Amino acid sequence: MDIEIFPHRLLGADTTEKLLINLEKVEGVKRMVLQGQRLPPKGEEDPDRKTITIHGEEVDLQVKTGRVLLEIEEEEIIDQIRTVCDEYLTFGYNIHVGTFIRKQKTVSDVIKYGEQLSDISEEMVGLTDQNAQLSERAVIIKKDD
Amino acid sequence: MAQYYPGTTKVAKNRNRFSDPDVELEKLREISDEAVVNILGHRAPGEEYPSVHPPLEEMDEPDDAIREMVVPLDGAKAGDRVRYIQFSDSMYFAPAHPFVRSRSYLCRYRGADAGTLSGRQIIETRERDLEKYSKELLETEWFDPARTGIRGKTVHGHSLRLDEDGMMFDMLRRLVMNKSTGKVEAVKNQIGDELDEPIVMGEPLDEATLKEKTTIYRKDGEAYRDDADAVEILHRIHVTRSQGGFMPE
Repeated sequence: MDIEIFPHRLLGADTTEKLLINLEKVEGVKRMVLQGQRLPPKGEEDPDRKTITIHGEEVDLQVKTGRVLLEIEEEEIIDQIRTVCDEYLTFGYNIHVGTFIRKQKTVSDVIKYGEQLSDISEEMVGLTDQNAQLSERAVIIKKDD
Repeated sequence: MAQYYPGTTKVAKNRNRFSDPDVELEKLREISDEAVVNILGHRAPGEEYPSVHPPLEEMDEPDDAIREMVVPLDGAKAGDRVRYIQFSDSMYFAPAHPFVRSRSYLCRYRGADAGTLSGRQIIETRERDLEKYSKELLETEWFDPARTGIRGKTVHGHSLRLDEDGMMFDMLRRLVMNKSTGKVEAVKNQIGDELDEPIVMGEPLDEATLKEKTTIYRKDGEAYRDDADAVEILHRIHVTRSQGGFMPE
């Protein structure tokens, strides 16, 4: 199942980093998608356009975070997610339950990837805009065993 | 007092205040003439006003009763170019918004042309008059450094959630919050060109003051439907417009 965290303010890079680091620690979060206004290209002066580090992996922050979409394993962990949000989103937020991340491969994917589509794992589906390169947008963060 | 806007709520009264040219709006900050010229970005401070025609006195104009009756603006007299200033107003309780700006500009400023869009509002007039009007628009209640943007282009942001520091989203980051002073500084002019020196625009107004001063009806502030008087006038306009437009052969 998916949930959407909808903060009442647009998040800066620092808050996004803190929030994501702590969300990543919650057991049962499978995938995360950041959605928001695109920031100017790298190299231009913008304090929010920077690389953040989550669990040792560097993530290039390309958007000003407006929504955080999470795919979670079970509903019970929403309370833990709320605890994290309460700490970092002090200006308020909403959590909505629904389907926010695409789960199935589509005809557009076939057009985009051609025969290589079968090499792409199910977990990478629905993480980016259709017109974006997966390699530019998606980062795999390995869990500790 | 003339009524420029119907309604009994605080929002309606504020709209009325803005539109009434006899009301002097409260001055909230001091911005120098040079800073205004820099923010507008149409000419360098101290530079002569470029002109598009010779001064009216030197022009051989045809005899015309209207030309004699209408006193030209200073800028028109000198032959200035027509230039603009454009604002974006956040939906989060900005003091002004595009329609009230247009209504008020037309009531307050002679010889100015106002253009309204959903998220931005432009005023065009002769350059030296524009600088005078812009100074007033920036120094008085029209402007809040956090919720109002001076945006000649890339205006996107009025309907977005605010940033964490309470600033309206601006792709070009023209107005930025200086965290050490708590004041907003203009670091770029209205079309996004870097300024040599940042211009201090002052502290943003707090939420309670903004709610007091706003001209925007909102469900979480004062809802339009709760203003029975304003709704009644709107209905009357709607009905008379429809009936007036209906002309069976």
